[in-house]
Amino acid sequence: MGSRWTVARVLALAPDAGSAKAARALANPRTWSDLGSTSTLVWGKCQGSARSPYQVTVDLTEPSFRCTCPSRKVPCKHGLALLLMWAAGDGSVTAGAGPAEWATPAATRKEPARPDPEAQARRLAERESLMSAGLDDFELWLHDLVRQGLATARKQPAGFWDTAAARLVDAQLPGLADRVRAVAADLHARADWAPHLLGELGRWYLAIRAWRRRAELDEAASGDLRAVLGWPRRRDEIGDRVADRWWVVGLSQEEDDRLLSQRTWLHGEHTGETVVLLDFAAAGQALKVAHVLGSVVDGEVARYPGAGPRRALLTGDEHKVVAGSGLPHATGVPDALAQAARWLAGNPWLRRIPLALAGMTVVPGEPPLLVDPGGAALTLAPGTDVWQLLALSGGHPVPVFGEWIDERLHPLSVQAGDRLVAL
Amino acid sequence: MTAWDDLLGTALVGTGRRPFTLAGSGIAGAGRVTADSPEAAVLAAAALAAGYRRAGWTPPAWRGTLREPAEPDERPECTPVAAQILELLLGRGIRLEAGTDLLTTDWLTAARACGRRPPYRLLPELLRFGTTATGARRLVRQVIGPRGAWLAGHHPAWSWAATVPRGEVAGRFATGTRAERLALLTDLRETEPDRARELVEDTWPAEPAATRAAFLDVLRTGLSDADEPLLERALDDRAGTVRAAAAALLDHLPGSARAHRMAGRARRLHTAAGTFELPGEPDEAARRDGIGDHREPGRGRAASRLIQILAATPLSTWDIGEIGRADSDVVLGWTKAAVRQGDQEWLAALVRHQPTPDLIAALTPGTATDLLSGARKLDARFGALLAAAPGPWPAGFSTEIVGRLRDAKAQAVLRVAARALAEHLHPAALAAVEDWLLALGTGSAPEARTLRGIAHALTIRATILQEFR
Repeated sequence: MGSRWTVARVLALAPDAGSAKAARALANPRTWSDLGSTSTLVWGKCQGSARSPYQVTVDLTEPSFRCTCPSRKVPCKHGLALLLMWAAGDGSVTAGAGPAEWATPAATRKEPARPDPEAQARRLAERESLMSAGLDDFELWLHDLVRQGLATARKQPAGFWDTAAARLVDAQLPGLADRVRAVAADLHARADWAPHLLGELGRWYLAIRAWRRRAELDEAASGDLRAVLGWPRRRDEIGDRVADRWWVVGLSQEEDDRLLSQRTWLHGEHTGETVVLLDFAAAGQALKVAHVLGSVVDGEVARYPGAGPRRALLTGDEHKVVAGSGLPHATGVPDALAQAARWLAGNPWLRRIPLALAGMTVVPGEPPLLVDPGGAALTLAPGTDVWQLLALSGGHPVPVFGEWIDERLHPLSVQAGDRLVAL
Repeated sequence: MTAWDDLLGTALVGTGRRPFTLAGSGIAGAGRVTADSPEAAVLAAAALAAGYRRAGWTPPAWRGTLREPAEPDERPECTPVAAQILELLLGRGIRLEAGTDLLTTDWLTAARACGRRPPYRLLPELLRFGTTATGARRLVRQVIGPRGAWLAGHHPAWSWAATVPRGEVAGRFATGTRAERLALLTDLRETEPDRARELVEDTWPAEPAATRAAFLDVLRTGLSDADEPLLERALDDRAGTVRAAAAALLDHLPGSARAHRMAGRARRLHTAAGTFELPGEPDEAARRDGIGDHREPGRGRAASRLIQILAATPLSTWDIGEIGRADSDVVLGWTKAAVRQGDQEWLAALVRHQPTPDLIAALTPGTATDLLSGARKLDARFGALLAAAPGPWPAGFSTEIVGRLRDAKAQAVLRVAARALAEHLHPAALAAVEDWLLALGTGSAPEARTLRGIAHALTIRATILQEFR
């Protein structure tokens, strides 16, 4: 159980809908104290209506819940809320050296919790066999789909895709589940749904085959595979560190009914590397304060294993932040797409590709376009506020930073004068 | 057919109907992959080919002609605080019972006076604002500057704000849709009223009646005696709507021949005793001038005709001193005439005789507040007058009225005039409003809520004025 759970997995433990709702409302670090976790235990104190705070402990191995509140529901809302905060992975529940006396389960109270390599290996093997079974099941589903044809698949009701996604979640493959849901939404929204779906099927199948040969993969490929399957790394598994002057070039946020996620794109001035920071919060909760778009953070990041552009975390406390002066690494469309091709060659599952484009002119229309001086035209994603982009550019060629997703550009920032403005 | 198209064809109908093998797929690298069923072969081929397709994607070439970029805007950008306030106002991020439109207008007025521009990113929101708040369009056009006018040229709904090059006006007027032609005329009327009228005259006989009537309505902007010949001609129009529109505009021109004819009719009804006789059935000439069967509420047919005649007669025909002796029909006719002719002297005299919201609303803010500050009773009637008074109110009056409402415990007036107070009070009255709130304590009385809303609006207005000082 080393990895963090997804929010969906936590909520699946709720005894009823009311508990789930109450837990979401409680999942706010401000009402909690003494929060901490190890690989098997999560604990914290929650100030409720009683005079002294409730003491809440969750043993992740069973999982089993302990709480000093009078509720007879198991688990109670406090236990669920604690797990929600821990699952959000936003740093409010820190990985501690060891639990406090009150949080230690009775069985292990006499012996301080010590990592048990045997138990850890057993849990890892359990998770891997669960994932393997889920992927076998998913492969059969893909075979059925291809046998009957994509034209038939498109006529399936939404439940067809939801069921497949739910089974992937049960098998601890939430990353694949997200992609199945995304494709289901695209089927009726895209004119090119058929080649788009076929490409996705190929990438999912590639993940299944890669999983079976995971022992042969290098660290980067293994990291990318874990990311596409949705098996996140713990903080203590994060790899190498790089110091640089990191320019904050793009911010994007996304919210579904469970989770608020935020991506911060950084560009390293000396290394020329692009990395992305990910932050999550349960829906309705506040995210950590975002880095200011257009600023420069002088400091060190720790990168997750994977091919570029890599996910990273800002490390250390001593970060110097100064104002930047726009988009330092903008290139023409051909160079940006060549970089995208190099990234795709390293990671075939890469979905959001950062593009820093120079000299783009906005052409409003159906669909609206960004055109470079050579006439290369990139289609702007539906939902883009093209009028704001046009107002900011005034019809002049401007540098634009965005995420390139399935041949559509989602612009995140535009350079106006020597400032970056968020879109 | 490419290898990909072949693969896609198979995938669409399904391997149940069409066979597929990796060896025969023609996809690069297929020889190094194994698949033990047609389904696995399709999936493996998709995995291979999709990788190449995505990495090798090339953008289509665009062959259109780019529009000229916007002209530079030399004005400095407003302060970040001012920009933030505008953003909140436009995005309804500030909640006011009376709505945020008037504060937005205040912002625009202050920016115009100060010669500063809004940040470019807010231009689309400003254009959306002007599209719905038609009364503020002129102000919006002046504030958005060349960049905003350029932007408006890209969106049909914003054409009212777009600059049309001088040379293209006639051509666009000839070929545009009705809405575009009206927008073009309104635009031109502000800067070159005569040229706009000439455009109307050029095509006048060929236009449908509804368009002729709509064109006349546009002439209200920048109306002058130079428009009279066209209006006089329109009195003979075959469409009733056009005749009515022409008569309504001529009511605003006391120097016109029609006003002179009305004066003749009115004088014939004026007796030596200073009273008026009721007119009989209108003759053909009177009907041509717009005297019709319209009935004023609660008045007879003949009295309604008298009111119509007086409302269209120049006030210079009469002695202002007669107001005190005139009966109610005559006062109503003069009231309408004073409002239409915008005669401040008559408006003020009529208010002193018998104030109505219509009269107050037609006065300048200074005169209106002068007349209201002398009122004795702070009753509901006064509340209606206060609500009609145009703004902005001077600092002295603003502070005085808040103090008087508080002393008189005039909750009814506060309720009726809450919106006017929020919109027109000078920021100098903020302290008086806050004192009143403080005296009310923590209660949630309705008046406390109203006062908090007023204080909120005044605070924002004060900030706007400060940021554009």
